[in-house]
Amino acid sequence: MSGIVVHLPQGSGNRPPDGSGDADGEPYGDAVTLRLGPGEVARFGRGSATTPVELRLVDEAISRLAGEIRVTDDHWQLSNHSATQSYLVENPEGAGEYLRVPPRRAGAPIPFEFSRVVLPTRGGSTVAFQVYAPDHVYLDPDGAGGPWEHRTVTAYSLDETATYFLVLVALCEPRLRDESPVAVPTTPQIVERLRGHPACARLTARAVSSHIDYLAEEKMRIAAPAGAETGRGARRNGKREAIVGLALRFGLVREEHLALLPPRVGTGAVAWESAP
Amino acid sequence: MTHRPLPPGRRVGDWEVTAPIGAGGWATVYAGRRAGRGEDTADDVALKILPTEGLAPRQARKVAETARREVELARRARHPRLIPLLDSFVLSEPDHPFLDGAIVLVMERAERSLRDALRGGGPTETEAGRIVAEICEGLAHLHATGWVHGDLKPDNILLMADGSVRLSDFGLATELTGDRGTHGYAPPMGTFDYLPPERWKAPLGEHGVTVRPSADIWALGIIIHQVFASGTSPFPGATPVSRAASTQEYAEGRAPLRMDGAVPPFWRALAADCLAPTHSARAAHTAESLLARIDARQDVPPERAGPGTPPPAGRRRLRIGAAVGAVAVCGVVAAGWSYAVRDAGSGPPADSGGNGRIRVFNVEEACQDRKDRNAECSLGLAIDPQRPYTIDNVVPTRVWHGDVLAVDCQLPHGVPIVDEAGTWSAQWYRVRLPNGSAQPTAWLPAVRTKDRPGIPGCPRPTPAR
Repeated sequence: MSGIVVHLPQGSGNRPPDGSGDADGEPYGDAVTLRLGPGEVARFGRGSATTPVELRLVDEAISRLAGEIRVTDDHWQLSNHSATQSYLVENPEGAGEYLRVPPRRAGAPIPFEFSRVVLPTRGGSTVAFQVYAPDHVYLDPDGAGGPWEHRTVTAYSLDETATYFLVLVALCEPRLRDESPVAVPTTPQIVERLRGHPACARLTARAVSSHIDYLAEEKMRIAAPAGAETGRGARRNGKREAIVGLALRFGLVREEHLALLPPRVGTGAVAWESAP
Repeated sequence: MTHRPLPPGRRVGDWEVTAPIGAGGWATVYAGRRAGRGEDTADDVALKILPTEGLAPRQARKVAETARREVELARRARHPRLIPLLDSFVLSEPDHPFLDGAIVLVMERAERSLRDALRGGGPTETEAGRIVAEICEGLAHLHATGWVHGDLKPDNILLMADGSVRLSDFGLATELTGDRGTHGYAPPMGTFDYLPPERWKAPLGEHGVTVRPSADIWALGIIIHQVFASGTSPFPGATPVSRAASTQEYAEGRAPLRMDGAVPPFWRALAADCLAPTHSARAAHTAESLLARIDARQDVPPERAGPGTPPPAGRRRLRIGAAVGAVAVCGVVAAGWSYAVRDAGSGPPADSGGNGRIRVFNVEEACQDRKDRNAECSLGLAIDPQRPYTIDNVVPTRVWHGDVLAVDCQLPHGVPIVDEAGTWSAQWYRVRLPNGSAQPTAWLPAVRTKDRPGIPGCPRPTPAR
């Protein structure tokens, strides 16, 4: 259990309609990333000298202390301190899946690995920040039934329905299929490879890179590969190769996962299968 | 892995199943006895069956790796506190899909696990103290021999009929490497309640996560608490995930260590040292030093401590002495076991692993994928497997990953070879070289192949020069 990551994007909170900045005259809209361990709490809201918050959300409509996040087990809880406003927690990968956390709800457990917490503002716009919970535990596929309490498990579990897992399988595909054994696909190749997947129709190269970083840094915690100082390009490449090598070596991605990928173009039958 | 249980009387190698004991992640365990000795023979062994059939090659390799660690450790770290491995083999039963290709490990049979004992209300205080001392003995030996258990938990601590302790389940055991043998690498696996806090942040390197003896000491701390506190963990929480989170809170200094009042002060202090929050703080407390503390505090019955003998040593020597006798008996059997772990992932059995052929394996992943027979990926063959494996002891012929070689025979005890991933073996295969080579045969270290063909032992080679 290593905790969660909270990310407030730069310029978050739409600028108030009158165009003014922060009422307290502080720099407005810097990106903030917080890392919270189990049991740790981060407060969010407009904040003030007497109401300190870890996550400042700059909007007149947001309370000084709007709510708080607490890391619990492998997930986190959201408390809504507003007396009137509901907050939404969206799952960006959930095809519209979301939770509504009503006013004054204390410690609502949030089940998503990726969340976007959305607070309403006065102008009808919203302020949002992201929370990643990479510790979510999954059982091993080869475990027998029965209680898992005392079972030996892989300590790096991946959500096989997440987009990052598709990216990982696509990265591993050439090795799993025993072709082009040395080369690991490039980001554009991954985008192309996943284009046919319903969840990835709008996947961008930038998103693929973020997924790879998330896998390397938060999920697999990949140790820096040797010779990482040889320039940025080489480092990026080293990271991908390390991910693929480890995912295969420790069975995080296996042959059966190839079925998650969309059919490959040019493998016959595929083109007209989807035709009406 | 689901399958129909094997019926009593079913023969498995030289052994016969008497009753099922249980099933874990990869293995099914049966009680058994040596076959053909009649009904009245005691069913005194446990048959641990690891099926590989139907698994994808990489999974099968994982199973084979688990078995390999068990076999390797059992061979090199024998001790009265470690469960002895009596036999290991791979089944060939084409008509039985569950058994075909399954790896069988035959072990001395225990009465129950410490987990079972904890479920049944837990041992008395005196019993608990003895159990902890014996666990420490096993750990101290394991660590002194250069191994880390890696998955120490009450399920893997067995209690024999006489109540004595045997550590078992060495599927995640790691051999210590590095300049001073301080750490090893293990697959990123473990059991939540027994993982040291640093493991949750440990980076995953090429060979796995770094594992040090202090990881076993942490697990020991949890177990000490459990044996005195009816099986409860010192870390609060209703689920292993929740307790893992509490562990992290403690390790990061946000929560104190709160032990159960039932744990007597001496054991509480011992557990607290084992549960020091960081590896460096824990490193001061070795299994050896903990054992010395336990021995120093225990009252030793006068008839056991001879005059002038320090009581702790006397007590321990006596207890071990009794167990050594049992091991010596097993040793007769053990001498015959073959190191036979077939790897289902190394290719069709038709062209390697059988019929006197083996496929070369290069542990360097980058080399496994190259087909260009690059010099950097080539592997050597020795002239004499009993001399140091150096540049003047190799034939000019080189081999590459995937090459299939004809093999005549095997030598179990040549010069030990450790490969790049830390795999150790003293076994060598005599392979035939292509016509026109300077010598007709040369020697391939067993670490350079995953195949374990059933071939005869070589006559002891005469020194090459």
